[in-house]
Amino acid sequence: MNGWLLAAAVTLGGGLTATLWGVTTGPLGRRVVAQNLATAVACPGLLLLSQAYERPAYVDLALVLAVLGPVGTLVFARLLSDELTGHPPRAWWPTWTAAALGTAVVLALCAVTAPGRATVKLLVTGALLVGGNVVAGRALTGGIRGVRGG
Amino acid sequence: MTRRSTRLAVAEVLAWWVALGGLWLAFINAVDTLELAVGAGAAGVAALAARAARRAVTGP
Amino acid sequence: MADPVVVVALLLVAGSATLAVAVRDPVRQALVLSVLGVVLAVLFTVLQAPDVGLSQLAVGSAVTPLLLLLTVRKVRRRGQRKGRER
Repeated sequence: MNGWLLAAAVTLGGGLTATLWGVTTGPLGRRVVAQNLATAVACPGLLLLSQAYERPAYVDLALVLAVLGPVGTLVFARLLSDELTGHPPRAWWPTWTAAALGTAVVLALCAVTAPGRATVKLLVTGALLVGGNVVAGRALTGGIRGVRGG
Repeated sequence: MTRRSTRLAVAEVLAWWVALGGLWLAFINAVDTLELAVGAGAAGVAALAARAARRAVTGP
Repeated sequence: MADPVVVVALLLVAGSATLAVAVRDPVRQALVLSVLGVVLAVLFTVLQAPDVGLSQLAVGSAVTPLLLLLTVRKVRRRGQRKGRER
C-alpha cells in the first residue's frame, strides 16, 4: 500500500460517493451536473492508479475516459435540452473544483515521471479532461447552442 | 473551386495531418518503421475527418 | 481481497447498481447507469483487467445512455401521438 494507492482510494471513494449522492437526489439539472462530475473524478483516479501500479499503459484508460466522458454529458445536454431550458443547472463550483483536482493530479504525476513522451501523454490527457469538462459544463448551463459559438 | 480555395484546403488537411501524427508519435510505445507507416496512414484519414467535422461546425 | 481499493470499488459498484434499480424514471436511470459504467471500469482496472475496463468505458460512457435516451424519446412521442388521436 503506497501513497499513490491511498490517494487513488481517497479520490475515487470520496469523489464517486459524492457523485452517486448527487446523481440520485434533487432536480434533473443537479443530476446531470453530477454525471459530468463522475468523469472529472474518475479520470484523475485512474491516473493515480496507473502510477500506483507502476504501469504506464493504464494511462490509456484515463485518456479514453477524458475523451468519451464529456461526449456522454453532451448527449444528455442535447437530448434533455427541453427539460433543462426551464431550470438551467448551476455547475460552476463543482466543475472548477474537479478541474483543479485534475490539474493537480496531472502536475503531480508529471513531477515524478521522467520527462519524455510519457509526460506529453499525461499533459494531453489533462488538457482533454479539463477542456472537455468546461465545454460540457457550458453546454449544461448555457444550452447546447452556447458551445457551438453562435 | 478556385485555385486559392484548393490550396487552402490542402494546407488545412496538411496542418491536421502534422498535428494528429505528432499526437500518434507521443502516444505509441516504441518508434519503428511500421509504427510510422501506420501512424501516417491513420493520421491522414483522421485529418480528412477532422476537416469535415470543422466544416460541419463552423461552415466552409 | 485485502486491498482497500478493491473494497472501495466493490462498494461503489454495489451502491450504484442498487441505486440504478431504485430510481424509477427511465431518464434519471440512464444518468445513474452512465455513472455505473464508469465505476465498473474503475473496478476492472483495480482487478488488473484494463482491457475489459477499456471496452466498458467505450460502451458505457456514451453509447448506452444515447441508446436509452433515444428509446425513451421515441416511446414518449408515440404516446403523445396516440393521446392526440383519441
